[in-house]
Amino acid sequence: MTTKQDKRLSYVVLTLPSILIYAAVIIFPVMFSLVLGFTEWGGYGAPVWNGLKNYSRMFADQIFLHGLRNNLLIVAVSVFGQIPFGFLLAYIIYRRLVKGGRLFETMIFLPITVSAVVVAKLWNQMFSPSGMVTGLIRIIRDDPRFVLQIFENRDFAIMPILGVILWYYTGIYMVIFLANLQRVSPSVIEAAIIDGAKEHQILFRVVLPQMVNIVFTTAVFAIAGSLKSFDLIFTMTGGGPANYTTVIAIYMYLNTFRYYNYGFGSAISIMIVALSLGLITLIRSVFRRFEERYE
Amino acid sequence: MSSRELSIHRIMRKRGDGLAAWRIFAYVFMAFFTLLTVGPLFWLLYSSFKPHADIVRSIFSFPTSFFVENYQKAWTLGQLGTMILNSVFYASIATAVTVYLALAAGYGFAKFGFKISNVFYIFFIMGLLITAHSVLVPLFVMEVRLGIDDTRLGVLIPYIGFGLPFMIYLATSYVKGIPNSMEEAAIIDGASYLQIFWTVIRPMSAPVVATMLIFAFLSNWNEFVFVFVLTSRQEIRSLPVGVNAFVGGLSRDFGLLFAALVIATIPMIVFYILFREQLAKGFAAGAVKE
Repeated sequence: MTTKQDKRLSYVVLTLPSILIYAAVIIFPVMFSLVLGFTEWGGYGAPVWNGLKNYSRMFADQIFLHGLRNNLLIVAVSVFGQIPFGFLLAYIIYRRLVKGGRLFETMIFLPITVSAVVVAKLWNQMFSPSGMVTGLIRIIRDDPRFVLQIFENRDFAIMPILGVILWYYTGIYMVIFLANLQRVSPSVIEAAIIDGAKEHQILFRVVLPQMVNIVFTTAVFAIAGSLKSFDLIFTMTGGGPANYTTVIAIYMYLNTFRYYNYGFGSAISIMIVALSLGLITLIRSVFRRFEERYE
Repeated sequence: MSSRELSIHRIMRKRGDGLAAWRIFAYVFMAFFTLLTVGPLFWLLYSSFKPHADIVRSIFSFPTSFFVENYQKAWTLGQLGTMILNSVFYASIATAVTVYLALAAGYGFAKFGFKISNVFYIFFIMGLLITAHSVLVPLFVMEVRLGIDDTRLGVLIPYIGFGLPFMIYLATSYVKGIPNSMEEAAIIDGASYLQIFWTVIRPMSAPVVATMLIFAFLSNWNEFVFVFVLTSRQEIRSLPVGVNAFVGGLSRDFGLLFAALVIATIPMIVFYILFREQLAKGFAAGAVKE
């Protein structure tokens, strides 16, 4: 039948270009990375098979472990900072607890449009001896010579960056929650109010249980996003000083494009994907339990 | 006011103290967050009109006069004009191609009823988890072998490829919601599938296409790592990469640095003011409960 053939041909015309580009840019390179991760390769000649050596080398490297720790801190700040703050901001606007919620929303969402590079350079200036943060601390401590030394501390150097991440991304979560809160039927809340529910009871007993799914989805976003974090930190500190603020993606970048260990670099990027899959599976099982409790 | 509304109103008033405390908390929390967000951006803006010496001498002071020299110098020294044109080029072409391809594929996946569609669709959705970094090495090697590294084409292809998963997700779920009767009527009229795509599906998808265009444009505009790794020629680099390089070397003149950052921010702020609604939709669409 010609129409059936016609249908097939149309399908190919419609979908094939996307599939080809996607396969070339993502599917094939990911498989390439997977294989390359088991080899030693400097970019020329044939890759030399070395089994799991790249992976054992990774976990024996203090820099990688420090980067992993920093990544996990970013995940923590995203899941336990951005999500609750974003939710609370959205809830306040949704329940009209403040006037001009719209204006607040616009302002808080603003940083999302600024590119990571600008955010990084701006906050570098904020923390510098002639920056706003330093200036404020000088006023508070009444010490005109104060300079921030937190970046020289191996354990705490990542903390200011965590603050910047919170500053940069909380608006996204606010917008996501706001869109979903708008779907909660107002009559349910009215009914609760008539029954004499207090505001915190509306929040915890009426609204939050309906948001469990969304919290899960945003948590998945937050995890995937956190492990990817590269642009911001790379352009802010480059992972320095002395790798104190490094994350896995920066560790991967340096090993690949500065030291030309393509095999090792590939193994690190596979590790990033594996870690995000692992964490997402973990958080999924946690949320399953939550859902069971609520239903 | 209906009697029901009145009774709610009365109860609301009776709720009294608890709610008042909530309102105070809400205002403080909101004001704090807003100040925190806008403060640094405002500081950046007014400091960009101060000469370097003033920025270092007094952190908070407002500019005494508009020192526009910062802007003139940053614009020429940083070649920001070229960078902006490059960014416009990358972002518009990649966005147009991605959105077109995604809508076409979305139509195929949503309406043709072929079983293989599910396989393809899941493949694309899995791509949401893949980060640019996990393909940088092979991509770089592939582009060098093909001789398209350090070219505009070599930048556009990964932009498109990485844009597709989310765009296909948006397009497919939207096109699924278009009633089949529209399509069937066109088939009876003797239209081919490709004609249906162009004359029925495309116009009916206008709302989602708007969201897709705006969301894709923002992510393409702010994209950093592909241009950073895959190009080395200054004249084809995008604004974020160019600003990173320019500003990175400016420890001697903070005035120029601030001016360059403001120039890099303004296009997207204007964009944001124009398309706020659509942007928010794009971010929210990823997590809206079905």
